[in-house]
Amino acid sequence: MLEVLKPGLETSIQDWPGRQGYLKFGIPWSGPMDDWSFRLANLLVGNAPGAAALECQFIGPSLKFQRDGVFALTGADMQAKLDGRPVPAWESIAAKAGQTLELSFAKLGARTYVAIAGGFANEIVFGSRATFHKGGIGGIEGHAIKAGQVLPVAPGSGAPGRRVKAAARPSIVADKRWSIEVCRGPNDDWIDEAGHRRFVDTEWKLSSKSDRGGYRLEGPDWSFTERAYNKPPEHGSEPGNIVDHGYPLGAINLAGQTPIILVNDWPDGGGFINPYTVPSCAFWKLGQSKPGELYRFKVVTVEEAQALAREIAALCSVASIEQ
Amino acid sequence: MAHEVELQTAGNMWKVLVKPGDTVKAGDTLFIMEVMKMEVPHEAPADGTVAAVNVSEGEEGLDAGFVAVVIE
Repeated sequence: MLEVLKPGLETSIQDWPGRQGYLKFGIPWSGPMDDWSFRLANLLVGNAPGAAALECQFIGPSLKFQRDGVFALTGADMQAKLDGRPVPAWESIAAKAGQTLELSFAKLGARTYVAIAGGFANEIVFGSRATFHKGGIGGIEGHAIKAGQVLPVAPGSGAPGRRVKAAARPSIVADKRWSIEVCRGPNDDWIDEAGHRRFVDTEWKLSSKSDRGGYRLEGPDWSFTERAYNKPPEHGSEPGNIVDHGYPLGAINLAGQTPIILVNDWPDGGGFINPYTVPSCAFWKLGQSKPGELYRFKVVTVEEAQALAREIAALCSVASIEQ
Repeated sequence: MAHEVELQTAGNMWKVLVKPGDTVKAGDTLFIMEVMKMEVPHEAPADGTVAAVNVSEGEEGLDAGFVAVVIE
């Protein structure tokens, strides 16, 4: 059991791969944005990689252990302290009942994961413990954690002193410039050649008006093919309008002239085109970037994206943990 | 004794509520940041006089840890 002393900035319980199978009812997967760091945090404390753990963003929480436990921190560096003493990330640590784990602001990266041996035992809603804030589903009473709450933890048997090998950790960039993989489509044929060139040649700025539903990008205007103008009226009047269709996770959704990457808590459909899609292998980078940071997109094939996802999956295994 | 108020998060400066020379009490809101559609108010850690304000409204891409306000 963990008592929330300070909640941090919309700290939420997530599990991986989240709430699957309900997209037809408009319920997204949710789950951790950096699923690479998330899975390793769980493996450090002896949990299944997808067990429920905390996602802290930008400003971390303060949590008091109500009984002895083993925890691990991965992802962004939030300068964590246990009873005032700095504790390392990427390593399992034993805490005694009564000790307080205090996270500060994210120095490098944006999201820190706190896994605890046994995993959080909050209620399973539609097959998952993940928090979907906008829908008020999952987590604790459907929302981010709040001061005064006690987070239930299942019994576990983690051991301290286990570390993630350096080569198995994601490399969070320090220079605020990210290279993000994208696949073309599904609506790439609505964008003209100049528009595609501009997309890959631009350093897009991540807007502060982004959240776990969408990442808004700032950059130049888009230009379109004939198809975007010469279409039946039911598609809508703007060049980027299309008759309502489903949106894939990771879609770069063109809202007028503003591209928005649809992330974990995404809307499942609507009437804007999606010229590109960010594949799952690049999601950890979205999860670790901060507003104001810059994205340059690198077009890859679906096969290349799947190969990268398999590389990450292989790293998210007990083989990456050393005693 | 001078108190430095650092930004608790990366993000944008939404509202700056104090100017140099203002008298503040501990707990008064000095400025409000905006990150990922969330407001993050920053409060005065102690009573005093605002000696410096190093941020302005509308600034974007600020880094956590930057000393935004100094109170003496």
